Amino acid sequence: MIGLFQQRRQRHLREMAKYLRLVFNDFFVFALLFFLGGLGLGYSNVLKQLTTGLWWAPFVALAVLAITAQVGRFATLIEDADRVFLLPKERAMHDYFVVARRYSQWLAQATQLILLFILTPFLRVTLDWSLAQVAGLVVAQVLLKDTLLRLDLASAYQVTGQRRMNHWTVKWGMSLIILAVALWVTPYVAGALSLVADIAVAGWFHQHWAHQQIRWREQIASEDNRMLGIYRFFNLFTDVPMVKGTIHRRRYLDGLLRRIPVQRDKTYLYLYSRGMLRGTEFSGLVVRLTVIGMLLLAFIQGRWLPVILTALFIYLIGFQLLPFFQQYDDVVFTHVYPLTWAQRLGSFVTLVTGILTTTAILLWLVVVIANRDLMTAGVTLVVAALEVGYLARLYTPQRLKRAAKNKG
Amino acid sequence: MALTVSHVVGGYSQIPVLKDISFDVRDGELVGLIGLNGAGKSTTINHIIGLLTPHKGEITINGVTIAQDSQAYKQQIAYIPETPVLYQELTLREHLEMTMMAYDLDQKAAWVTAHELLKTFRLDNKLDWFPANFSKGMKQKVMIVCAFLTQAKLFIIDEPFLGLDPLAVNDLLNLIEQRKQQGASILMSTHVLDTAQRYCDRFVLLHAGQVETEGTLSELQAALPEAGESLNDIYLSMTKVDRA
Repeated sequence: MIGLFQQRRQRHLREMAKYLRLVFNDFFVFALLFFLGGLGLGYSNVLKQLTTGLWWAPFVALAVLAITAQVGRFATLIEDADRVFLLPKERAMHDYFVVARRYSQWLAQATQLILLFILTPFLRVTLDWSLAQVAGLVVAQVLLKDTLLRLDLASAYQVTGQRRMNHWTVKWGMSLIILAVALWVTPYVAGALSLVADIAVAGWFHQHWAHQQIRWREQIASEDNRMLGIYRFFNLFTDVPMVKGTIHRRRYLDGLLRRIPVQRDKTYLYLYSRGMLRGTEFSGLVVRLTVIGMLLLAFIQGRWLPVILTALFIYLIGFQLLPFFQQYDDVVFTHVYPLTWAQRLGSFVTLVTGILTTTAILLWLVVVIANRDLMTAGVTLVVAALEVGYLARLYTPQRLKRAAKNKG
Repeated sequence: MALTVSHVVGGYSQIPVLKDISFDVRDGELVGLIGLNGAGKSTTINHIIGLLTPHKGEITINGVTIAQDSQAYKQQIAYIPETPVLYQELTLREHLEMTMMAYDLDQKAAWVTAHELLKTFRLDNKLDWFPANFSKGMKQKVMIVCAFLTQAKLFIIDEPFLGLDPLAVNDLLNLIEQRKQQGASILMSTHVLDTAQRYCDRFVLLHAGQVETEGTLSELQAALPEAGESLNDIYLSMTKVDRA
């Protein structure tokens, strides 16, 4: 079982490394350094203005520490199929979970230590703490995180029936009490409290786990959820195949959707528009790019730059929409319905026209407000209109026709 | 002749799965497509619904091939897949409406039929649900409702009985019978042989990409006199030939 976890951890780390290489590209590292430098400078400036005895300082420290204590989840690397294939090995899974918790400690405790390191000057200035007191807090915080992870481990079993020991009220309650003792009483007592809590949970769990079943479904769901969070983050930088958009009903858009006439040649428009508005994958992309474009244009003035930027953003969005045409290729009815490819293309062109027109109008409005210049506004409008027309009505069908022909 | 499959050679790649198969389904007839896993049933169906193009041979529905007029060809087919597939972003109501649009049905009349079907399959209070909220059996019922909403002349039903509750199986058989009376043809693939034996008019027994035998139950019994009485026995003896 330990071998299984090690094998999975290796695969997991290899996968993470692959994505991290894509995320931390030269450009991003450069930007990050600037960002962190700026943040550090700002922090040191703030510190200079602080004095000992500010009433709100311990509250800030409490909030930061309590939030930090929740960071770093129990990574089990458990998979859906495990509940079938590993079911006969349920007792042996204990070793697996113990190793998994040990592995989870690395990232979780590193986060605690980094945050404490950053917080140290703040504590020393506002609370006038000695280094020994800080050390006491470090012990308390690390032991607290250890206890929280132990609760996560205990919750892998149905030890307490339907109630979970790692419910957020338990975790937050424990964190707040221990950290409040540390900040208002003394960190040494808090350290001792953490130790007692840790030993208590460990002892209690040791007595009980062997008679309990694993909560397979919940553990799998929580691991899936954890991985989804990681993939979502990577998805901001690169394409992650595991991230499929979610679907929201968005009832308030029904009025708009119902304006599509119910007739044969609009069948695909009926489908595409609903898919676009209710899914998050493509609509999120369009919204993100539009908002970024609007923000950028709001701060940019000049005669030609706004025109070029508007054109660029419309092109970017139009280009990104192309794969949406194939969105439903794996649903057999897309091929079985008695509809022609031309009808489908026509609907898609209508959809792209609608989206790009909306985006263009929004961008154009920002240009008008930011510049208050008749010439710039006029040129932007003409360029945007021509571009939308070209992209939606000429470029898109041409590209899709060529792609379809290549496919055979 | 509703459906004619003649000398079709085909498959997913250049290596043919179907080796020269021919059979037909006449008007108002329910034909069972029987065969082991991997015998070529799904491949045959995929060729008929137009997902695959035959390497050789021809498939016609009431005289039309897909190459001649794909819209007229597809207009005549209603398809119920083995694994239900739905559009994740559409509600049940919208699936029905989309089917009506795609098959160019009269909205009013179609909704009357739709409500009857929904009631039969106990889905009438789930019109605003998304597919994600349906169980597998419910999804399958949605497929059935969508298919029987159309006025198709040929129903292609891939393994309909697994996953449906007994009541729904019975309702489906009634629907098939009713459409048969109206002159529609049905091609149905299944492993549930005792049901097939009771309801199908004729059988096409596929084996290793070829039509092993074809005919009514009595014709099959006559062709394989030692095999036994039931379709199950005949089917088993057919596969034994290969194993021996």
